[in-house]
Amino acid sequence: MAWDDMRRKLKKQFSDLLEIPGDVLLDLPRIVLMGNLQVQIENHRGIQEYTPRLVRISIGKGMLELTGEDLVLRTIITDEILVEGKILSLNFVNLDQQP
Amino acid sequence: MFLTRLMSYIIGYVTVLVRGGDIEKFINLAVSRGIYLWDITWVADNEILVKVRLSAVRPLRHIGRRARCRFYFQEREGLPFVLSRLRRRKALVAGAVLFAVSLYLLSSMVWFIEVRGNQDVSGAEILSAAQRAGLHKGAMKWTLSQTAVEEAIRDQLPAVSWAAVYVEGTRVIIEIAEKTLPDDDGTGPAHLVASKEGLIKEMLVLSGNPLVKEGDTVLKGQVLISGEIPPPVQEENPGIGVPELAEPLPGPEYVRAKGIVRARVWYDGYGEISLVETGQKRSGRLASAFCIKLQGKEIIVIGPGKVPFEAFQSETVAKRTLQWRNINLPVELITRKHYELVDFRTEHSRAEALVLARGKALAGIREHLPRDAKVLEERVEEVNAGRPEGIIRVKAFVETLEDIGAIEPFKPEGGIAAN
Repeated sequence: MAWDDMRRKLKKQFSDLLEIPGDVLLDLPRIVLMGNLQVQIENHRGIQEYTPRLVRISIGKGMLELTGEDLVLRTIITDEILVEGKILSLNFVNLDQQP
Repeated sequence: MFLTRLMSYIIGYVTVLVRGGDIEKFINLAVSRGIYLWDITWVADNEILVKVRLSAVRPLRHIGRRARCRFYFQEREGLPFVLSRLRRRKALVAGAVLFAVSLYLLSSMVWFIEVRGNQDVSGAEILSAAQRAGLHKGAMKWTLSQTAVEEAIRDQLPAVSWAAVYVEGTRVIIEIAEKTLPDDDGTGPAHLVASKEGLIKEMLVLSGNPLVKEGDTVLKGQVLISGEIPPPVQEENPGIGVPELAEPLPGPEYVRAKGIVRARVWYDGYGEISLVETGQKRSGRLASAFCIKLQGKEIIVIGPGKVPFEAFQSETVAKRTLQWRNINLPVELITRKHYELVDFRTEHSRAEALVLARGKALAGIREHLPRDAKVLEERVEEVNAGRPEGIIRVKAFVETLEDIGAIEPFKPEGGIAAN
């Protein structure tokens, strides 16, 4: 794990130095929120759970948990998900021991 | 976003109810296969509605089997479905086409013709002139030549000095500018003026105030008989020394001047003939060629490639092939006629040349003589340059007696017009 942390730290420093956006180098999701109406998640890893009250989307490390009402997956393509509805919360659930 | 939706509409898409199995797995599999899914809405537990393009339905079935889901097609939307629906309703399509065609045809007809700017020329006259040039109600706009109609109106109605025709939708507007002719209806007041210079020989005044008398020389445009008759001069009353100013002077009376004014008018002319004449004239032989002009290149179809004459004169008639609106074929049909020219040389004797020159000089004058002119004298004299040259020059004088009066209407200034 220490080795992983070191690698991540190094990458972070590298991206800071070259001013490369983190999502490119670190394989992080880019999340764009539009008020509480729309969330756009780039760089996702697929959908884990979908109900109108809860949407769970796996991202590089961990999971993104959206809660709300009447959630609809407006579009879904290989690296982008657009969720619409009344969004109440957005949580990062770090499941480091994910397979 | 809009473009992808439009694309989906063109391809056609279906709304699928997916039930049972692992729905999340179904979505992830579809996405990883590159299938575009949208508007995923939850209906009940393990039941979602998904929209998918028609082209992706077949691979979706495969995915569904792997995720153990069942499919129910709910709605079919998009162009392919609309088309297939229309295929079953041929009358509807025919009606739509008929509607579009008739709308186009009706909108390319002239429905209204409006005449603007005319005051004295009646609209009906203008319309009938336009009609003869092909502009009438119900005429197709593409057969309409605006310049031809404008020309026709100008030619047929002399009172119109300018005409413009333009199309606004289904309405054609003819705009007219009238000539401001002095309104001479044959009754208004008028002067009798001299139409040319001359010496007055006889004068007969029928009405009006004569301003010239027999024996006077008049210039062109000079008033001979005035239509304005001044008030009679009042005899002064010997009893009163100071004329009374209280009584207003009667204004002049205006009439239409009438009369015959015959005058002697002189004309002179000039003619010359060279003793030896050379030149070229057509021999009567003709070679014609017919060519097709295509993009600046001429292709001779019939006729000689090279003109078989040494000297020739050419006449070219070019014909454009059919054209429609702004589109025309880049082909021109050209007919060329080459006339052979031959040199000629004629020699005249002095006497012959003199007769010819005299005839020429007199003919030049006769062109200008009015029909009723009486020729009093014809005089021809040879001009001598003082040195021998190959040209005979002749001057001619003609004296005539003719009526030089011309009616010129005028507008009286605040007087009483007496007819």
